[in-house]
Amino acid sequence: MTACAGPLPPVTVRRGVAYWAGSYRALTRWHLASLRMWLMLLTVVQIMTGAGFVLGFALFFDHIPASAALFVSTGVPVINLVVVGLIMGPQLVAQQKLQQSYDFVRSLPVPQTSAAAAWYTVCLLAGLPAVVVSLLIAEARYGISFAVSPAIVPAVLLVAFTGTIIGYGLGHAVPNPMVTTLVTELLIFAAFGFTPILYPSWQLPGWLATLNWWFPFGHMAVIVRAGLTSGMATGIASSYLIVAAWGVIGVALSAWALGRRA
Amino acid sequence: MAVSIEAAQADEQAAADWSFRAVSVTKVYGGTLRANDAITLSVRPGEVYGLLGPNGAGKTTLVKQVIGLLKPTSGQIRLGPFDLVADPDAARQLCSYLPQAPMPIDSFRVREAIELTGRIRGGDRGAVRRRAGELIEALDIGEWENTMGQRLSGGIKRLVGFSMVTVWPGRVVILDEPTNDVDPLRRRLLWEQIRLLAQRGCAVFLVTHNVMEAEKSVDRLAVISAGRLIAEGTPSSLKAEDRGHLRLQVMLVPEAATPPLPPWVGQPVRVGHNLITTIDEADAAHGISWATDLIGAGVAEEYALGATTLEDVYIRLTGHTSADEG
Repeated sequence: MTACAGPLPPVTVRRGVAYWAGSYRALTRWHLASLRMWLMLLTVVQIMTGAGFVLGFALFFDHIPASAALFVSTGVPVINLVVVGLIMGPQLVAQQKLQQSYDFVRSLPVPQTSAAAAWYTVCLLAGLPAVVVSLLIAEARYGISFAVSPAIVPAVLLVAFTGTIIGYGLGHAVPNPMVTTLVTELLIFAAFGFTPILYPSWQLPGWLATLNWWFPFGHMAVIVRAGLTSGMATGIASSYLIVAAWGVIGVALSAWALGRRA
Repeated sequence: MAVSIEAAQADEQAAADWSFRAVSVTKVYGGTLRANDAITLSVRPGEVYGLLGPNGAGKTTLVKQVIGLLKPTSGQIRLGPFDLVADPDAARQLCSYLPQAPMPIDSFRVREAIELTGRIRGGDRGAVRRRAGELIEALDIGEWENTMGQRLSGGIKRLVGFSMVTVWPGRVVILDEPTNDVDPLRRRLLWEQIRLLAQRGCAVFLVTHNVMEAEKSVDRLAVISAGRLIAEGTPSSLKAEDRGHLRLQVMLVPEAATPPLPPWVGQPVRVGHNLITTIDEADAAHGISWATDLIGAGVAEEYALGATTLEDVYIRLTGHTSADEG
């Protein structure tokens, strides 16, 4: 028999900060490794999506008004920040369920919050390059000079968090992978077509504008815009509150989905 | 120094009772479907314990409750001082689980997948690296050490999965069909590692359809059918009831109907064109002449008469052979 005894089985259960931090590091590496074959491609597609929106909207006009160019350019980062967490996140979980590797991943001994934090980090990393490139393209194409303030940091972190955690909760809460795919497609259609991210909310019919006030996407654009321009965004405090409230809803949904054991 | 600390730890572990206990575990879905019905079993550290049963018997439901993915409707699951139902975080740390489904390692290199899982399971870097190296050598998969998961054959992938799960094992190691697709030579190496895990103090659960393999490798086993534990014991204690009996297997001509059976033949099971039954040792001569007559009449092609195995016990208990489980 080969001498390969291995460690003695554990007699204690790990708890506390070191356990959390170790799990966070290891899981972040796990996600980066498992996405390595297409993380590059994903970043490129994200950049192309951002560039497509920034450049494409100008084609609707002979001469795009400066205000419209600024609106589009400051809305695109929101799309770049939430697409990975909100759309691809649930689809990846659905894929794990289809390939039956979901139970193995769920059986890994890590605190649920550190698993969510690791996934958030990866989504943020996957979105940021496209945000920067989209803004640079907007500067070059429209001659915009953004008034970037420190407020952009909490705005970016919160927008990515809320998008990611809602997607995370959805992915784990919806048992049927096909339903997850349908829901994410509906989200793309609704969130990017009928929410005031790339255009002002007064362009929408009154009832849709009112409805949108309760959803996070328009508010995400407001707080990002507040960090990129001066004086353009209004109602910033309430927008922060609503985006944060959706973040809390996402946390509650994730906690319920991962804790139900039904 | 290290040796004496380890020896002291081993003594300490031997002193503590780290038995796994499931007491009257019941899982009901939708108010009516009893996927597990009052299952009670215990496994000591060092034991390899088989969990056998047809598809849909409730084996996976039981396993998912042990590792904290499902909560029993009623009953207790304890491991040493820990209540695994109340503390699913402890359940995940103290149990390692190799599912039957393929591991999600397509974009991982073999060694990387093993080491990263070891780190996630709480091992420190150096120790995990050493242990990963030992497992890779012991299972003879060094050739693929730096190969991406998507390029591996099913059998090698299975061995990598085993290594991931046991590089830093919990106290309970649950292996669902660990030898699937593994070639016969490495299958032997795998069994050595499973036995070593047990010797090291793990309680090993082997979930399988493969009764022949289980008979050779488990210390004790439970047979689960329709959510209930219907038999438990060592392979030889379960076979005791079949002592004095022989297994008669008649291979019928394809498409042939099951022939009328003489009264001294036990409850038969038909799988494809195989008719499997048990007869009393005293009826051996009758059995041979009956089977020979069937061949003579063009109903059967050949027959085999031999000692009963655990498979016959399994057939008697569940009404299935292990081979008809897909």
